[in-house]
Amino acid sequence: MNDEKSEAGELGRMKLNKHWGYLFLILIIFIIPVFIKSEYYLHILILSVINIILTCSLRAIAVTGQVSIGHAGFKCIGAYTSTLIAMRLGFSPYLSMLIGGLAALMVAGIIAYPITRVRTVYFSMLTMFLGIVVTLVTSEWRSLTGGTTGIINIPSFGTTTVFGIGIDFNNKLPNLYLALILMVVVLIFLYSLDRSYIGMTLKAISQDESLAASIGINVARSKAIIFCMGCFIAGLAGGFYAHYWGILNPDSFGLFHSIYLLIYMIVGGTDRFIGAVIGAFVLTLLPEVSRVFQEYQPLVFVAVLYLVVFLLPKGMIDLPHQMRFLLRMVYQDRVKRNA
Amino acid sequence: METVWQGIFNGLVMGWIYILVALGLTIVFSIMRIVQFAHGEIYMLGAYCTYWFSVVFGLNVFVALFFSAIVMSLVGIILEKFLFSRFRGQIDGSIIVAIGLILLLQTIAAIGFGTQDKWIPTTIPGSLNIWNIKIPWERALSVITGIILVFILFLFIRGTKMGQAMIATSQDIEAATLQGIDVNRVSMMSMAIGCALAAIAGGLMGAIFGVQPVMGSYAMEKGIAVIILGGLGSIWGAVIGGLLLGLIDGLVPLGSNTTVASIIGFTIIVLILIIKPQGFLGHE
Repeated sequence: MNDEKSEAGELGRMKLNKHWGYLFLILIIFIIPVFIKSEYYLHILILSVINIILTCSLRAIAVTGQVSIGHAGFKCIGAYTSTLIAMRLGFSPYLSMLIGGLAALMVAGIIAYPITRVRTVYFSMLTMFLGIVVTLVTSEWRSLTGGTTGIINIPSFGTTTVFGIGIDFNNKLPNLYLALILMVVVLIFLYSLDRSYIGMTLKAISQDESLAASIGINVARSKAIIFCMGCFIAGLAGGFYAHYWGILNPDSFGLFHSIYLLIYMIVGGTDRFIGAVIGAFVLTLLPEVSRVFQEYQPLVFVAVLYLVVFLLPKGMIDLPHQMRFLLRMVYQDRVKRNA
Repeated sequence: METVWQGIFNGLVMGWIYILVALGLTIVFSIMRIVQFAHGEIYMLGAYCTYWFSVVFGLNVFVALFFSAIVMSLVGIILEKFLFSRFRGQIDGSIIVAIGLILLLQTIAAIGFGTQDKWIPTTIPGSLNIWNIKIPWERALSVITGIILVFILFLFIRGTKMGQAMIATSQDIEAATLQGIDVNRVSMMSMAIGCALAAIAGGLMGAIFGVQPVMGSYAMEKGIAVIILGGLGSIWGAVIGGLLLGLIDGLVPLGSNTTVASIIGFTIIVLILIIKPQGFLGHE
């Protein structure tokens, strides 16, 4: 009796400690950018934060076993809607970003129900062609989107005063903080979703659809809801990207952007939530770090992909486990030899 | 009216090249259960190979096409053996391997051959005039080559033991293994055939539109579109899908441009997938 109580207490403390740990991590993440002086690195960090948001939203959809290869298309919808609303109607960028997300949500909502009937490979192919169509339409609808030349001079988040400190969003640092805030909100939302009842039903669906349906889970509705949610977040990230970067071009939302997001997710590891974050962060930084190799730079990326996919089939998050396994093997070997 | 006929003819040319690319994809999909995204890169390498054999070694273009098909089928066997064989039936792993291959092969092609367009010499110069439609011989020959190859493939699959083994494997891998079919050999064969077809398609396309390191992704998109349209795993579905997509790409640009043609083609595919997820002639 007493043991159980203390055990429960310990568990509770651990849970509390875990939350403190997360808070501490967030604090560190928020402090680090202050010390980065280079504009270029700040830019890369902002891009990686956007990629983390996108990859996590992609993972939320992929949890149900539906691998989307058209996620960049929804980012594109969000980015263009947000830009056009801010430029033509003069809305505040914060509001237009939200409307961009809602536009992506709306498009996703229209197709969500029919799309969720389509399974596995066909779902991937469908979303892939959807993404391609979105970018092709943006490059063709010249009067609205400026065609392949794109849109320039998109209004940034402007200047605001918070606690008496003036913040100019034409600099990189405030943008990075805004991106981080967005990221933390999105991650907390997606993480709690992952751990909630809805998250459990989604995992049940991914394991066995008919079994999940037999115990009373509305499979189509759950899939449709999570698909819409993921696309909303992608649209939001697209809106942020547009107002941060100031230039939009259909090429930056092409098929390969979607495939890269998928790669970030798979290479990071799909089993755990943190995998998508790690994958997106590492693989966004990798091409920049390996810039010294010049034209051979893609080969470095390929080398990392193949190392992960052949040695760590469960993704980068499996690295500590594999290392421990390897160390134990080496250690046991040595013990045997000494004996 | 003549422009319409011209459009239909151009559509047929494009269509048969799409079909050749798509057949490789569909064979690889039905045997190995993966979507080979790097198929476009095999097509690109095949085009470079044809260029290499015909310009540098000065061979006849058809001989060069034949050699390039052999070389690429060997490449396909190597790729299957060392990369794809581990990821049969896994969407995740195979996508990463394929994207790695795309980056690898594009980088190698860009470094090795340069980024300028290369032109494969025309097979037979001059053109054929039927009812005031000008039909360049090289295009007419690519249609004929396409038709011949599809029939050879059909006869191979229907008539030979290997072909029957491929059908069996595509229907049920476990049952096929129980009947004594060597699934590894069948997958290697499927990859070899797919890569050979892609190489020939690349060579034919390279004679018409030139060879660039990035030509593969367009072909890959169209090839996947064709097999989705016709149904994954169906040869005649791929033929019908390819002709339909080719006709859209040949006729729509008469009224507008190629981007609109692509939009219409891909939108039709999205709609078909929503209404009938298995495509025209798909089973499963």
